[in-house]
Amino acid sequence: MLKFTKTTASIAALFAAALTLPTASQAAVTVLGWPGGSEETALRAAVETYNAKDSVAADDKVELLFFNREGFYDKLQADMAAGSDAFDINLLATYAIGRYAPYMEPVDLGPDAVKTYGEAVLKTMQYDGKQYGVPTDLSLHFMYYRKDLIGALLADDAAKAKYAEISQKFLGKALEPKDPDSWTWEDWAATALYFSKDVNPDSPVRYGTVLQLKNLLFNMMIFQSLPRSYGADWMDAAGKVTIDSEAYRTGLELYKKLYDAGASPKDSLSYEYAETNAAFGAGQAATALQWNAAAGELTDAEKSPAIAGNVGIVAPPAGPDGRADHIHGLGLGLNKNAKNKAGAVKFLQWLSTEEAALLYARSGGSPALSPDLVAKIADERPDLVKLGEFAGAYGYVMNGGTSTNALSIYELQAKEFTGYWSGQETLDQALANTKAGMEKLLK
Amino acid sequence: MDLARRPEWKLLAIPLVGFLLLFLGFPALVNLVYSVSEVTFQTLRSPSLSGFANYAEVLADGDFWRASWFSLRFGIVTALAECLLGLGLAVFLSPLIEKRSSLMAPLMLPLMVAPAMIGLMYRLVLHEFVGPVPYYLYMWFGDSPAFLNVDNAFWTLAVVETLQWTPFAFLLFYMAYQAVPTDVRQAAAIDGAGSLQVLTTIDLPLMAPTIVIAFFVRFIDGFRVFDNVYTLTGSGAGGSTASLSIYIYQAFFKQGAIGKAVAASVLLFLASFAVLYGLNWLSSRGKE
Repeated sequence: MLKFTKTTASIAALFAAALTLPTASQAAVTVLGWPGGSEETALRAAVETYNAKDSVAADDKVELLFFNREGFYDKLQADMAAGSDAFDINLLATYAIGRYAPYMEPVDLGPDAVKTYGEAVLKTMQYDGKQYGVPTDLSLHFMYYRKDLIGALLADDAAKAKYAEISQKFLGKALEPKDPDSWTWEDWAATALYFSKDVNPDSPVRYGTVLQLKNLLFNMMIFQSLPRSYGADWMDAAGKVTIDSEAYRTGLELYKKLYDAGASPKDSLSYEYAETNAAFGAGQAATALQWNAAAGELTDAEKSPAIAGNVGIVAPPAGPDGRADHIHGLGLGLNKNAKNKAGAVKFLQWLSTEEAALLYARSGGSPALSPDLVAKIADERPDLVKLGEFAGAYGYVMNGGTSTNALSIYELQAKEFTGYWSGQETLDQALANTKAGMEKLLK
Repeated sequence: MDLARRPEWKLLAIPLVGFLLLFLGFPALVNLVYSVSEVTFQTLRSPSLSGFANYAEVLADGDFWRASWFSLRFGIVTALAECLLGLGLAVFLSPLIEKRSSLMAPLMLPLMVAPAMIGLMYRLVLHEFVGPVPYYLYMWFGDSPAFLNVDNAFWTLAVVETLQWTPFAFLLFYMAYQAVPTDVRQAAAIDGAGSLQVLTTIDLPLMAPTIVIAFFVRFIDGFRVFDNVYTLTGSGAGGSTASLSIYIYQAFFKQGAIGKAVAASVLLFLASFAVLYGLNWLSSRGKE
């Protein structure tokens, strides 16, 4: 009997504890962050500092929640559509704002936000003129190149003659090697061809570049900067879809020409971020257009010993309209169904302050800070200086790039463009299908 | 009194029926409604009926038929390869495993790995610069093929699937092979049958039900493949490696075309039901 009573009491206690647990978690602010990268490390450091402050009430302490990266946005979409209140603050991305805005609330970030990030960067988290989040990280693309290889090419007359011969054969004009910071896309293409064994058996590396051609929306973001520098946009001012343009044709054909010539690894059609890092890091590629987030890994002598000390970074090459660099931000915003909205807003406002932004940057995050702020950490994070510089000078978002169906548009382009690059459909078919799909998605 | 007609039987069946209605019936009903509705993530709770437009869109979509063909081909090729290899291994290794049963454990290891992990593992194994397979191919032959380009991706994926699931077929066939009565084999041998004759006239006929079941189970698994294909190639260049499961997933989550995705899943359900019903009919005819 005694045993029965004890067991019953234990079960009752467990039941009571289970009932009280949700109350405890309701009081805290739960943040759903981007898992598994520098963003998570930086967010953890920021939260630790925030929670240690005396001014933060016990009920407003921040707890972190992370999903797996695989299918993150799909799971977030399903959770938010179901009206989940499991998190008060959720991750937000520029190209997905339109998709998540219906389940979120605009937030007032306070007066410090403009001083910390500047108007242009704050806009990456705006939809319909309203601020939906704090732009914690900015992503754009760097052109990584091998300084040793390009240096040797520029210093060798015989190599220059071979370079001119290759560019004449493949691009229809005899080009001279140039410093990467003054490359046009044709210069980059000629360099990529010159450093490819299939084109030039004397090349010291196997490939001239690493193209990310997997059927994946993020790869389309990398590609966009090429046509953009030729004047491409998704829509004109009147809202007409302009994907079937000379600019897109030029970009798509150049990629295909390089892939078909063997200037990029054979399996490039399955390459994304990690594969590109591995290929460039192995020392067998002369250039790679890759996310800025890879800078740490590719310039770290321990992580990439084969290319240590020989990696140069410039903005993407120029087209007739100058240089263009696709930017998008990751940020944190307020869930419409948040249980602790007041506490969540306090945390978001603190994240917009100089103190928090510098701490986040020092902990590995990639915020695009205002020039005054970035100068304070230039020695520790020189890549952030380039990030801010490139974003300010070349950053762009396509017209329609933050619309409700922006993600689906990238998906559509990924499918059609990879269909063309892999030789399964013609350029005309790919562009016609993309145009028809985009007209439907941008209605 | 017939067992099924007894009142206590009905009482006992209530939890099961309730469970099925709740966890299968309700989602199936919602799916049917969504499949004839115009619905997005914003209007999940208030779909508007649109007739059979979603079905018409799916049936007119070339990508749906392409994905169906991929799934069908993948299911048949991998099920055949797994069953043939599994059968060969079961017969060949049977004497060895009888004496060293512990050998069974390492042979079963691939089954313990999640298919998504297998996909990720092969992304590494086949990578031209860090993978061991291209490394040795370059070392021995001076070149390595593009395992995951449009021409080769299907076969690479089929090999990866076969390597993981052959142990499953092997396990079933080994058990069936062991169950063949030894005295029947001995009697056949005394009558002068050679080992090939014993295999084809005694072992295989007796193992036939297991072979059919194994093929069918592996075909279903291959047909609905998702995880390892998705992690290894995604839907492939131009959608070349999109299985039917990937097609439905992408329509639902990536395109937000919920009605279209659900209509495709209902069509898949109907096709599966027709195949199962057909097989059941064939099986009952065989018994007669």
